Amino acid sequence: MFLALLELRAARGRFLLMGSVVVLVAALVGIVSGFTTGLGDDTISALRRLPAAQLVFSSDARSDQFARSLLDEKTAAAWRADAGVEATPLGVSITRGTTDRGAEVDLAAFGVEPDSFLDPAVTEGDGLADAAADSIVMSAKLADEGVRVGDTLAIDRLGIELRVTGLTERSSYGHVPVAYVPLKTWQRIRFSTPGAPASAAAVIPDQFSALALRTPPAGTSSATLDARHSTTTLTKEEAYEAAPGYTGERVTMTSIQVFLYLIAPLVVGAFFAVWTVQRQPELALLRALGASRSRLLAHTVLQAALVVVLGTAAGAVLAGAVGLLVGEQVPFSLPAITLAGTMCTVAAVGLAGTALTLRRVTEADPLTMLGANR
Amino acid sequence: MSLELTGVTVEFGRADARATVFEGLEATFAPGRMTALVGPSGSGKSTLLAVAGALLRPTAGQVLLDGEDLAALSDARRASARRERIGYMFQSGNLLSGLAAADQLLAAVYIGGGRPRAHRSRAEEALTRVGLGHRLRHRPEQLSGGERQRVALARALFLSPKLLLIDEPTAAVNRSQAGELAALLAERTHQDDCVTVVATHDPAVAEAADRIVDMTALTAGAAPSARPGR
Repeated sequence: MFLALLELRAARGRFLLMGSVVVLVAALVGIVSGFTTGLGDDTISALRRLPAAQLVFSSDARSDQFARSLLDEKTAAAWRADAGVEATPLGVSITRGTTDRGAEVDLAAFGVEPDSFLDPAVTEGDGLADAAADSIVMSAKLADEGVRVGDTLAIDRLGIELRVTGLTERSSYGHVPVAYVPLKTWQRIRFSTPGAPASAAAVIPDQFSALALRTPPAGTSSATLDARHSTTTLTKEEAYEAAPGYTGERVTMTSIQVFLYLIAPLVVGAFFAVWTVQRQPELALLRALGASRSRLLAHTVLQAALVVVLGTAAGAVLAGAVGLLVGEQVPFSLPAITLAGTMCTVAAVGLAGTALTLRRVTEADPLTMLGANR
Repeated sequence: MSLELTGVTVEFGRADARATVFEGLEATFAPGRMTALVGPSGSGKSTLLAVAGALLRPTAGQVLLDGEDLAALSDARRASARRERIGYMFQSGNLLSGLAAADQLLAAVYIGGGRPRAHRSRAEEALTRVGLGHRLRHRPEQLSGGERQRVALARALFLSPKLLLIDEPTAAVNRSQAGELAALLAERTHQDDCVTVVATHDPAVAEAADRIVDMTALTAGAAPSARPGR
């Protein structure tokens, strides 16, 4: 420790430079991680909160199932009878509306049966009224956009007016805040023709996007039931990929993170490789004075650990500060556990980069001191 | 503690480019005596010190330090011997860059597994003994060549080693300082009863030695002590 710290102090310019690089790499990884989590939350947090184990879609919808799949009550009833589990319809569509106080909002309308297990708990106001009433329970995110309990929201170009009865926890789907409406209301939103006269006596299909299963089927397998009813059953987690843009975003952000995890050890390793080459005379002198290889290794690893750990910690603070700075304006979420995990990984790969240089440390030859001239 | 070299041969290079520095060298160095190794450049003085100091494994022969053959030890045990029993001053100072003079001595404590901070005042005294009391916080690049040599000498003496190997201690100091350093070496040799071998061209050092060994004669197989010293 003594010598490692003295060397750090003596070469503080170089170590500060290297530490700054580690800070920036760690901060970048943290920021990317924050965006990955934030974008993920923004896309699927509403799905994550669904108290369902599996979702059943129509078999003809192979991608973007929430948008493409349509099931009817007949299929749902047959599924319920065969699977023997609690199941309830779920309608998902993205729409927009304007409140009577002029707030224009985009929203992901989740059509659920009032009093079913998908009916959300409210944090303010009342829950969904009975199926016939045009009520709406909104994510608290919409309150940020000026919607209040008691407002009336008119769905744009459809002439459907909904009364905001309550707010529920913040959640969104496809980067749009979620609002829960009774299934019948959802079907009117989903199947009405925009711009059609309000008086038009349109026939609204009794269909929905998916059937939510509270628990997996007990006896018969999902595959058998799917084959029997022309459906596709996905676990809730698998269904995340059915959310718009989710897979693309995950792949993009994860790729950036992976590249940063590759860059970090290379940068740190390159610095310590150069540092070790420059220190060969000192290392040889230390060996000549009797330093053991293990002591030199410990000495080098300690220096690397100080630079990497302190740099990573500073990077974590910077990433957290960026998170606070951007606030609610962008989808950024960096919970402490995610930040800690990410930073531990950065520190680990950084130290792994240092490990590449350790061989040279142990190979310092004390005999070179014979011809040394410093 | 005594040092005995028996049938020591040192060769460098391989096959057709092999060079023999000395062959079958025999020498004994007694405790409490300072030996000056003299001889022209290239006669093998530094190589003999390197062999005796467990830096260089001889091609053949034994290097017995208090009966233990350093040549036969593992790398780790040779490092341990250097750390615990040998004080070495290299030909050109060889200080750790960036470290203040006092810290150069404390580094030796650190290498030995001790607590450097507990030895700071002793380190400062040791530097004062070699005339560097005013340079305690100076780094190598802030010291003259002679001052660097004196720091290296203080470091070699610092842990009171039983075998002291000193390579050209006065190459960069003036005559009066050379005499003082030679006297210091002789004093420490007698006081600590250690084996001291000094490779030198300096008459002042040879004058202070208890015994003078001509390296040319030694490698030619002549009697190791060409003439008695002081």
